[in-house]
Amino acid sequence: MSPAATIPLEDFIKELEELAQSAIEEFGAVADSEQLEAARIEFVGAKKGKFKTVQKKLGSIDGPDKKAAGMKLNEVKKSIEKALNDSVERISAGGNEKVRDSKFDPTLPGSQQKIGKLHPITQTIEELKDIMGRLGFTPADGPEIEDDWHNFKALNISDSHPARDPLDNFYLSLAGSREKHVLGDNDLLMRTQTSTVQIRVMETTKPPIRIISLGRVYRPDTADSTHYPMFHQMEGLMIDELVTLADLKTVLKLFATSYLGNEVPIRIRPSFFPFTEPSVEADYFWNGKWVEFGGAGIVDPNVLTAVGYDPEQVSGFAFGLGVERLCMIRHQITDIRYLFTNDVRFLRQF
Amino acid sequence: MIVSWKWLEQYVDLKMSHDELTDRLTMSGLNHEGTEKVDGDRAIDLEVTSNRADCLGHLGVAREIAVLFDLPLNIPDPDPAMGRENIKDHCSVQIECPELCYRYTARLLKGVKIGPSPDWLQDRLETLGIGIVNNVVDISNYVMFECGQPLHAFDFAKIKSGKIVVRRPFAGESFVAIDHKTYHLQPNMCLIADETDAVAIGGVMGGADSEVSPATTDVLVEAAYFHQLSVRNTARMLNLHSPSSFRFERNVDSAQLDWASRRCCQLILENGGGELLDGFIDVGTRPVENEPIVLRLPQLKRVLGIDIPADFVPKTLEALGLKIESQDGSAVTAVPPSWRKDLTREVDLVEEVGRIYGFERVPENANVPMAASFRLPSDRVLNSVRTVLTANGFDEAMTPSLVPEPWSEPFSPWSQTEPLASSQPMLGVLEKASQNIGAVDLLRRSLVPSLLEARRINEYRSNTEIELFEIAKVYLTRNGKELPDQPTLAALVSGRDFFEVKGVVETLVAYLNPKVSVEARACDLDLLDVNRSAELLIADQTLGWIGEVSKSGRKHFGLRYNATVAELNMSVLEKLCVLVPQHENQSLFPAISRDFNFIVSNSVHWADLRSTVTEVGGDILESIEYRETFRDEQKDGPDKKRLLLSVTLRSSDATLTGEQADSVCQKIVEQCKAKFDASLVA
Repeated sequence: MSPAATIPLEDFIKELEELAQSAIEEFGAVADSEQLEAARIEFVGAKKGKFKTVQKKLGSIDGPDKKAAGMKLNEVKKSIEKALNDSVERISAGGNEKVRDSKFDPTLPGSQQKIGKLHPITQTIEELKDIMGRLGFTPADGPEIEDDWHNFKALNISDSHPARDPLDNFYLSLAGSREKHVLGDNDLLMRTQTSTVQIRVMETTKPPIRIISLGRVYRPDTADSTHYPMFHQMEGLMIDELVTLADLKTVLKLFATSYLGNEVPIRIRPSFFPFTEPSVEADYFWNGKWVEFGGAGIVDPNVLTAVGYDPEQVSGFAFGLGVERLCMIRHQITDIRYLFTNDVRFLRQF
Repeated sequence: MIVSWKWLEQYVDLKMSHDELTDRLTMSGLNHEGTEKVDGDRAIDLEVTSNRADCLGHLGVAREIAVLFDLPLNIPDPDPAMGRENIKDHCSVQIECPELCYRYTARLLKGVKIGPSPDWLQDRLETLGIGIVNNVVDISNYVMFECGQPLHAFDFAKIKSGKIVVRRPFAGESFVAIDHKTYHLQPNMCLIADETDAVAIGGVMGGADSEVSPATTDVLVEAAYFHQLSVRNTARMLNLHSPSSFRFERNVDSAQLDWASRRCCQLILENGGGELLDGFIDVGTRPVENEPIVLRLPQLKRVLGIDIPADFVPKTLEALGLKIESQDGSAVTAVPPSWRKDLTREVDLVEEVGRIYGFERVPENANVPMAASFRLPSDRVLNSVRTVLTANGFDEAMTPSLVPEPWSEPFSPWSQTEPLASSQPMLGVLEKASQNIGAVDLLRRSLVPSLLEARRINEYRSNTEIELFEIAKVYLTRNGKELPDQPTLAALVSGRDFFEVKGVVETLVAYLNPKVSVEARACDLDLLDVNRSAELLIADQTLGWIGEVSKSGRKHFGLRYNATVAELNMSVLEKLCVLVPQHENQSLFPAISRDFNFIVSNSVHWADLRSTVTEVGGDILESIEYRETFRDEQKDGPDKKRLLLSVTLRSSDATLTGEQADSVCQKIVEQCKAKFDASLVA
């Protein structure tokens, strides 16, 4: 044994304490089994581990200090082993739950999926279908290009009625024969109202009937903030042996309550439409004033006769309302043209 | 129709408050749109529906008030004094077009002093916002707003030979109206002419030459009944709308012509002096008295759903001007007055009684029976399509159904027939940048051009991720007199590439029916890149088209960036959609996966390989998946590619052994070799 240098006890103890501290820190910080293994080799490796290295210095301690040095060595060995065991346990249980990594930034955005939005008109229509469905009304579909019979005649709109004015309708012809076009009985036109579907359903179905028809209708208004030459309507029709104005008012009341989500006052007041008699305008009381929500009435006997029903045997009501109007009030949309310009920033709001 | 409070007071005692009056009027059919205070009077704006021409005069509104508040109505009975000279010695009227002018009456005043109207009359007209001219013109306006019958006053000195001829215009005839503009007349218009020249367009506007001026002394008062549609068409064609044409369009009460004429002459005599000639001219057809209508009292409850006291019915009808012919406990028979041409049937009387009784008395808690309702299968499919497309990042668009010709021509894969054209264009629906593109008057045969325009607008506004879809009808002509075919299509426009959008379509089809696969074959459509487009089919039926827009196509639609479009036929999707999927047991045995890396020539398509592998794999082939295409000319030679694919094999009744899997894979390799000369990468 080399008598060379002896190591003072206090140096030895200091070194041990430092070793213990760095080992505990490092074992506490390892994040996975790889790092753990590296730390294990570093500190308690059988050949070159730091603890081994310090342990070898025990021989250089002076005799009288040896006992104290040995006790300290044991103490440190135990604490390093404990740190190692804790670390092993922790890593095998799934890593360090308590140690922060400064690289982690929880405020970075997540990976988002872009979900598209349904058009606000579609959303309104779905809501209307939903409400009317609960009131027993089944949707019915029909063509947008219509003939004179379904758009006018069967709806009690006479040949001389201003509604037939060429300037108020999109009458149709083949593009090539546009110039030669003459108005006649077989004229086709873009439907001006969804009531056409009522005629089609009544022509092919016996009462009782409870339907709604929803879709695009066309009138040659110049587009501005409140008009558009194309818009959507919802029409409701109920036909049975005895259907009265009281039934109509009741259904309108239920509809308004469902749509507006509250007990809301409604009223009906006389109006005029060729296909209903009596005809009414329906209003609901909203934000301190009466707001029109649509036209309605008892189906005119001429309409019932036109589809082959006997007006003495059956009766019914019909109502119609503009979808854009409801949609715009609901979402506070200030210009109807926004609905058909399709700016994606507009569409994504709803 | 604006009415003056003070004016109404001439006929009925307005003891009620303004609000009570306008509320009752609103609730009985004259919707109150607002009131303005005008110089000690009130201008009350009432909405008059087109069937109630009788309420286009103060008397008609006063009558409604009298009925609603159970008040007496005081109607003046004009009885102007007449001189000795007879009108027929000075003037004649001839109707040459009785189909345009049903009846024409005339009275003649001589020695009238033209000057300003009295203050009270000016006040009344000013409340209504009507301009003041001179006593004669103002009086004729006054009487129109009193009773609803338009009148016209001519300077009789300008009527050559005192002859009024009601006729159609001659070819090329034109006319200078009171506004001193020249109007070119059409053969279907109704002219009032003298012996040689036009002096007025019937019911629409008078002439500059024969208007009443300070120099006028003799006045011819016209009260006539013109065809409503003719007046309407003429006013529209000439863009000459006036309170007069407005009333003729809604039909006037021809029984009232004489009253209006007398009233006018009386007021002229009172305020302009002169002498009314004896007699009057009245040519054309006389009004026919309305037919009696039987109102069965039980019909009131059948229509309105409420009980109305029996005595309320005749009392109300009588107050409205109907003549009660008979009544008993079960029915009332009544004849409507001449001014109520809208009353022709029993149900019309039901409405009259109901609206006066008050629709507010109709309950809103009736026992409407419950009924089952159904969702349409097409609506269910529609919802699924919308769900898949929004989940894939597409926003829903809505575009007009009519398009300009430059958008109609370049893309019409569904039909080669001519598009339908509308008689008039849609106005104001184009963005500024597109406004010179042409009239929007063709019915679209595809949704794609409209969506490309929507994409252009979004590009222009620097929007990103412009992924749009629309579901709407298109219009395809058919032979014969049938309605055109109007299929519902779903179209997509995307910034993603061909295969990404194709993937969306495949996802959609798989969502609707996992067992159906989309086939694709090359197509040649002008708008699309020939090497990046395809027709899509389901079991040999066209589902739709898909493709990247070609460079020239992008230029045509003003697009800066790449765009891919797809358009699908909803009815094909409806047919393949399984609305109620049925359960099948899942195999609990383990699966085996195998990869293949085939070298084939470029002409071999994935679909060929897939169908062969699927066929050979048989029952135990659970799935086949495309991995990638890879080309290495140096190793594999030109015109060759490597197709990598994986298969998953699984048996439903036993654990598959490695040998079984190997044997299937061996057969797959053999068959692909035989059919496509496919070899495995060594």
